[in-house]
Amino acid sequence: MKGNITLLTILFILCFSCRNSSTKETEFVFPEADSIPQSEAEKLSPEAIEDISRNISSPVEIANLLQMLEVPFSSQYLASSIDANKENTTFDKALKLGILGADLGYLNMYEKTGSSLDLLSSIRKLAEDIRVGQFFDFEMIKRLSQNRSSLDSLLYISIDSYEQIDSYLRTNGRGQLSALMIIGVWIEGQYLATQVVDKYPDKILSDRIGEQKIILNDLLLLITPFCNNSPEFSSLCKDLYAMKDNYRDIRIIYTQGEPVASEKEGGLVITQTETSIVEMSEAQLKGLIEITSEIRNRLILND
Amino acid sequence: MKRFLTIISLLLYTGFILTGQSSDPFVSKCVMNTGNEAKYLKDFRIQLGKAAEQNDLRYKANMSLWKNTKYRFTMCSAEDSKGQLILSIKDDANKVILSSYDKKTGKTYPFVDFVCNKSGIYKLNYDFTDGQQGSGVGVVSMVK
Repeated sequence: MKGNITLLTILFILCFSCRNSSTKETEFVFPEADSIPQSEAEKLSPEAIEDISRNISSPVEIANLLQMLEVPFSSQYLASSIDANKENTTFDKALKLGILGADLGYLNMYEKTGSSLDLLSSIRKLAEDIRVGQFFDFEMIKRLSQNRSSLDSLLYISIDSYEQIDSYLRTNGRGQLSALMIIGVWIEGQYLATQVVDKYPDKILSDRIGEQKIILNDLLLLITPFCNNSPEFSSLCKDLYAMKDNYRDIRIIYTQGEPVASEKEGGLVITQTETSIVEMSEAQLKGLIEITSEIRNRLILND
Repeated sequence: MKRFLTIISLLLYTGFILTGQSSDPFVSKCVMNTGNEAKYLKDFRIQLGKAAEQNDLRYKANMSLWKNTKYRFTMCSAEDSKGQLILSIKDDANKVILSSYDKKTGKTYPFVDFVCNKSGIYKLNYDFTDGQQGSGVGVVSMVK
């Protein structure tokens, strides 16, 4: 009898642990501390910094999602108040170079390339002012913008130019400007997504906004070494930490599964069955919309 | 004569638009071969010597991939490469999500479409088959 009970117990434990492993859920959480210790951020290797800069969700991906959701284009979301001639500090120039880069991605994806010429002039001015104009092939981008059939080339040249600028700044001791540019790109992409979801509520889009929690921690790692550089940096760090507070109780849960493979047209197709699920209330989303708008609109003011 | 010159200029201009990008022409060519419906996102330029021993794929990079997006990973190897460029992707728990190289059959896929349902940061690992020397580019695009 005792032997039967032991066997039953073992079987029960085995069944339970098997079932548990197939439906196991994990969750993304911010590191415990409220702020990232400066020493930890400073320890980041150049490779880790490069990875972080590559990880930032491309504004092109946000714009692609908006197109997929059939959201119409609107120039109202653009940072058209930025006047490149009125930017005085390298801080503002780098940050706004990022913001306008995100706008360029949005315009390109919607093929509103006729409207991008003014934007390109501003980008050119800002890039030249921080001595990275050589990496931006303005004439080529302008030509591709006028040729509606070459969207992929346009995306390639535009994104590649920004990546070259980023890489050059990082490897030439101007990592603070690279961080600002990347943060500018991210904030503008976040602004675009939150403005659209406010007008056209959609679960897929609100999930994408909630999932930016994954990226925000990396952005904080990137900016933290420079938080005491100047009052402008301190203020930006404060803004990003305030945004982190808004993300704190938003949960990202992962369910497990095995990928499914098939072949198509000579290539391999992998469909992931693992999923990420965002748990975010209406009020939490509203909070993100408000704080993003407040920060972004303040950043694009011409002092 | 004038008409002839105009045609030549137009042809040169069109050629310039299609292929004359200021960035690496090899990368441009690979980008242009990702398919009509693909929209460029990123590229990884890889140059590796012959591996001393064959363990993990050697070129490593991280990239965020987002739920509800179909990504296309295209691999292009330079002509003088000894092996074919291959890719393996692992998630944050180090679990292999996909590989463009089937070890059992030795088949190498030139592109892999990945229907992403879990947002997160993934590890992209590139190498050349059998740890051979080579140079190539891995292009990441979005497809419908």
